[in-house]
Amino acid sequence: MGNLFKTKLNAATIVLIPACIGINYLGKLFASLLKLPLWLDCIGTCIGACLGGPVIGGVCGAINNIIYGLTTGDNITLIYALTSFGIGIAVGVTARMGFMETLPKSLICALAAGLAAVIISTPLNVMFWGGTTGNVWGDAAFAVTQANGLPVLLGSFIDEILVDVPDKIITIIIAFFILKGLPEKIKALYDVNAEVERLD
Amino acid sequence: MSGLSLYVDQGTYLNRLHPYTKLLYVLTAILVPLIGGKKILFAVTIASSILLLIIGKTLKRAVPLIAFSFTLIIVIFLVQGLFFHKNEIPLLSLGFLVFYREGVMYAAGICLNILNMLLSFAVFVLNTPPQELVEELEKNGFSSKFGYVINSVFQIVPQMMKTKDTILDAQRSRGMETEGSLMTRIKAFLPLISPVVMSALINTRERAIALEVRGFGRKNKKTFISERQKLKGDTVITALLFSLLILAVVWRVKSCL
Repeated sequence: MGNLFKTKLNAATIVLIPACIGINYLGKLFASLLKLPLWLDCIGTCIGACLGGPVIGGVCGAINNIIYGLTTGDNITLIYALTSFGIGIAVGVTARMGFMETLPKSLICALAAGLAAVIISTPLNVMFWGGTTGNVWGDAAFAVTQANGLPVLLGSFIDEILVDVPDKIITIIIAFFILKGLPEKIKALYDVNAEVERLD
Repeated sequence: MSGLSLYVDQGTYLNRLHPYTKLLYVLTAILVPLIGGKKILFAVTIASSILLLIIGKTLKRAVPLIAFSFTLIIVIFLVQGLFFHKNEIPLLSLGFLVFYREGVMYAAGICLNILNMLLSFAVFVLNTPPQELVEELEKNGFSSKFGYVINSVFQIVPQMMKTKDTILDAQRSRGMETEGSLMTRIKAFLPLISPVVMSALINTRERAIALEVRGFGRKNKKTFISERQKLKGDTVITALLFSLLILAVVWRVKSCL
């Protein structure tokens, strides 16, 4: 089990974090540019988690939200750093367990990420927004559950699932194809079990 | 200075204050109404944040930061006003829609909290360069590696944005459609993002080597190029904010007894 969280903290992994955060920004930007009904703002976190392991993934996610807060002045994003952290950890752990090897297997990874997001975000949504998420489809569902007298927590939970799980599935599929296309030379840089042979 | 940061140097007093002092202001502005538990306190902190934004000549730039929350606020009022589970007393009816008092009050509480948080944070973000905050944190023993991570994001993201424009033009000139049905737009996503992502990840290798060569992994204590003098106001304001926080806690405890 110890191997799941094993992390190399060298220059390569440190450099990976800003690159992944850049990718997160880019995903979000393209998603809004193409007017897709998804966020796609954690592709980088997922890539970071697959390459560097759960710790790097979690750090990527958390710092991503901190920087996003600093650059947009939206400090409510800061609290969702917890969610991003959870997504990074979930993807990192499942990827280490071998669930990113084939496309069908990666769906499990996506589900883990989606569930992590839902479980962490739901209480935050209830605390700060009274249960809404800001996504039209999710909030419509939330309104329906509230109109039928269901508890706020359950309504918010359904709201989150509708929004997060499809988003994470697409995100992981994109991350999967990107990782497939990455040259071996780069992937080797982040292999935790790689041994450095000294010639002296 | 990167194009990503919201900070603009205007030489105001707020610009010169220590980042920690401004962070403490954010903390106080958010916590005092929550601890105090009275809605009127939100009005006080919101007013003080707006006043600080005016003094710092940043009110205009704060508007877009706050504006995005308006749609959310409307949604919250709609959902809670119509469907809040404790709804009993009707307040207003528009045709078949009936807004209830409890729901509207509940929504008002949430929205005041949101506005308060956003405004106080705007005071911080618009008056503090992130690099300065990171440097101060590093001086107080924050890991310089993570300091590097945060600073380098501010360099990498604008770079990637530039690459993004190039890729977008290149793919469009090859006849890729970026507008139209949802399926077309989904199909366009991967060809757009993958070249930028690939180049970013491939660049990390070179960047890592460059850092390694410059002794990035060394554990020696680092020295800093810029020295900052502490303003007299920093101590005064910090003390004032702390006493406000304590006052709020005392007041709450007293009202509970």
